[in-house]
Amino acid sequence: MKPLVFTLKQEPDQRLDLAPLVPHLLDGQSAKEIAEIELQTTRERATVGDTFKIRPGSAESIRFEGGSTRLDNIGKDMKAGEIVVEGDCGKSFGRSLSGGNLVLTGECGPFAGSAMSGGRLEIAGDAGDFLGAPLEGEMEGMTGGLMIVRGNAGERVGDRLRRGTIVIEGSAGDYPGSRMIAGTLIVLGECGTLPGYLMRRGTIVLANPPELAPTFVDCGLHELAFAKVFSGLLRPESRAAARLLSRPLARFAGDMAALGKGEIFFPA
Amino acid sequence: MLIHLKGGHIVDPVNGRDETGDLWIENDRIVAAPPGKLADEVHDVSGKTVMAGAIDIHSHIAGGNVNCARLLLPEKHQNWLPNPVALPFSTAKWSTFETGTIYASMGFTTVIEPAIVPHQALQAHLELSDIPIIDKGMLTVLGNDDFLLSLLRDGEGPAAVADYVASAVAASNGLGVKCINAGGATAFKYNARTFSLDDVVPFYDLTSRQIVEALQRAVEDLKIPHPLHLHANNLGIPGNVATALATIEAARGERLHFAHLQFYSYGAEGGHGFSSAAAELAAAVNAAPNVTIDVGQVMFRQTVTVSADVLRQFNGSEMASPKKSVIHDGDGDGGGIVPYFYRENDFANAVQWACGLELFMLIDDPWRIFFTTDHPNGAPFTTYPEIFALIMSRDARAEATARLPQEAVAMTTLPSIAREYNLNEIAIMTRAAPAKLLGLKDRGHLGEGGLADIAVYSPGKDLAKMFRFAHLVFKDGDLVVRDGRGTHYRWGNALKVNPGYDKAIDRRLAGYYDHHFGNSRDLFTVKEHLLPRADAFREVACAR
Repeated sequence: MKPLVFTLKQEPDQRLDLAPLVPHLLDGQSAKEIAEIELQTTRERATVGDTFKIRPGSAESIRFEGGSTRLDNIGKDMKAGEIVVEGDCGKSFGRSLSGGNLVLTGECGPFAGSAMSGGRLEIAGDAGDFLGAPLEGEMEGMTGGLMIVRGNAGERVGDRLRRGTIVIEGSAGDYPGSRMIAGTLIVLGECGTLPGYLMRRGTIVLANPPELAPTFVDCGLHELAFAKVFSGLLRPESRAAARLLSRPLARFAGDMAALGKGEIFFPA
Repeated sequence: MLIHLKGGHIVDPVNGRDETGDLWIENDRIVAAPPGKLADEVHDVSGKTVMAGAIDIHSHIAGGNVNCARLLLPEKHQNWLPNPVALPFSTAKWSTFETGTIYASMGFTTVIEPAIVPHQALQAHLELSDIPIIDKGMLTVLGNDDFLLSLLRDGEGPAAVADYVASAVAASNGLGVKCINAGGATAFKYNARTFSLDDVVPFYDLTSRQIVEALQRAVEDLKIPHPLHLHANNLGIPGNVATALATIEAARGERLHFAHLQFYSYGAEGGHGFSSAAAELAAAVNAAPNVTIDVGQVMFRQTVTVSADVLRQFNGSEMASPKKSVIHDGDGDGGGIVPYFYRENDFANAVQWACGLELFMLIDDPWRIFFTTDHPNGAPFTTYPEIFALIMSRDARAEATARLPQEAVAMTTLPSIAREYNLNEIAIMTRAAPAKLLGLKDRGHLGEGGLADIAVYSPGKDLAKMFRFAHLVFKDGDLVVRDGRGTHYRWGNALKVNPGYDKAIDRRLAGYYDHHFGNSRDLFTVKEHLLPRADAFREVACAR
């Protein structure tokens, strides 16, 4: 099955909203119809045809050849299928993703995977701040699915995480897992200040923890059967994460300034 | 600038017009057809309905409690903007900009915020001045404040009370006086959890009835056009129709505006101990020509109840959905913010919905019943178009009623009612009557010399669509809405009254504030130069 390919002609003059270019919205549309779709965010009109060279194919599998940090909302509200972006993208990559596979080879801006509820999102490069986080006003961040960042991530990763798993193979900025409600966050590189700030429940696993807040309570060293099972599940996606989870882990419970039912693990 | 609206169906009950005709606008006023002059702008409105701009007399669009609700419910105003938007900030959820834009696009050009305690008046006016397009105004809340209750306790005469009321209204730049659960909020501070018309406020030895009577008299003595705007005791309680009937009786034939009457139209019959007594209450309103009411219609959706009736909000806080609320005390009323979800499949909510519609249908005189949802307490004002459809179409009502629990419908008289409002009655209820009630002679009609606040609708089968997206709206002769979308921002005035009074009371008040709070009373007066735009106010004459 041939993918539908969008090749970027040149860096766009304005930020573009690429939310319309997802499988379920493009299904059944001809290349000509797709070329007419408007993407502008200013009064200056910009269509798909102006911005990309289109190579027709099945809308179930979409490829972007060439990226730009001005391309926002790629894969927004995607329900199924696949999108692969070869290059960088802007903010809100994969926001509200609920199914399918979304892959980025380059870097992305803030709010990637924001409030995603299912599916798989992989970022080969670095991610910006607020990975998986809610927008202002929303009560929950990511609520399901799997997110993997091979590079580094910015601040407030997994803010208000509710369910699902985030794996960051590089480093994370300050306040990872802030205000977490539940779910799992794994950071294999370095990690900024105050992980799990005001977390209620959920699990954070850190390979190199900074000093924890005094509102986290030492619960001793554990060899958890569940961590081993989870390690096996993660192996196909991230060998390093699987290795980390198979080691004996120290457990700290917190944040006692909030509900205090969360936990931070790190290798003893 | 001369504008000609050509060949529309003009509905103007004040001037007895319900016919096809023309309308001319010169600058901000409606004028007679000027012979021999050519219009600068001609709008062909044949087939359209032309009315005066609508006036909402009771909608909580500003003030401390509204802002508190915004803080409590961030999920009701997510940071999400469609691109590109027509007017900046017009889609920012629950913002002043959205309020002005949506009201205007429904053909509303004047909206009154009905509950501002004097101490929050400056913030409220700053917020009102930030609402674009429409004119606005606010009612000053009195009736639980220590100064007033002390005056009454100490037996000072009606002159002192009137002076105080006038001073409070003038300092807060209000358009009238509102009283919320008179004495109830004060009794709440002394641990009362129920409070009715003849219950005594601890420490002050006054009944609610005495406070209402005193305020009613003060408003009449001061010749404030809008009668006392009363939020009565026992809001929302099964069997509270008895309180409502007693309150109408207690007006003793004097003018009284009874706010959001739907919330007082409940009996305690049936297996659930909750029923509609709207028919009985409507009959009492019909028989009391001194009483005007607004409905406070409930619609099924998520909303938030925002009220200075702190006793009621405290009792209701366990029903909060989502489960969070704010109850706070303050001099005067304090307030309560309780989010609530009205559900179609809920017995009590279905009865409430039907009660509101029964009041609409059974109160005969459209000059004395006003169209409100008590925004946002019964429903957000964005539901107005759906309510227009319900009261103008028996079929729409039957269809909506069929979806409700039938045991709830059986507790009401709604299915037996055939009445349908016509456009003339709609124009009276939402234009002519509110203007009369508030003393706004310059609007609510399409006569010569009137303010060119004009709404042009596209009639059609879909009544809700007709009233949601006005074809054209003029505010002060300025075309602000085209095809249901705002074209540009302009800034309206806040309407206020300035009743005359003996300034000796101001010296007493200065002493009172200094003695109790160590503050200047001036801290709470709204001075025009503090507001961001010149000509912030437009004065409405105190005379009848």
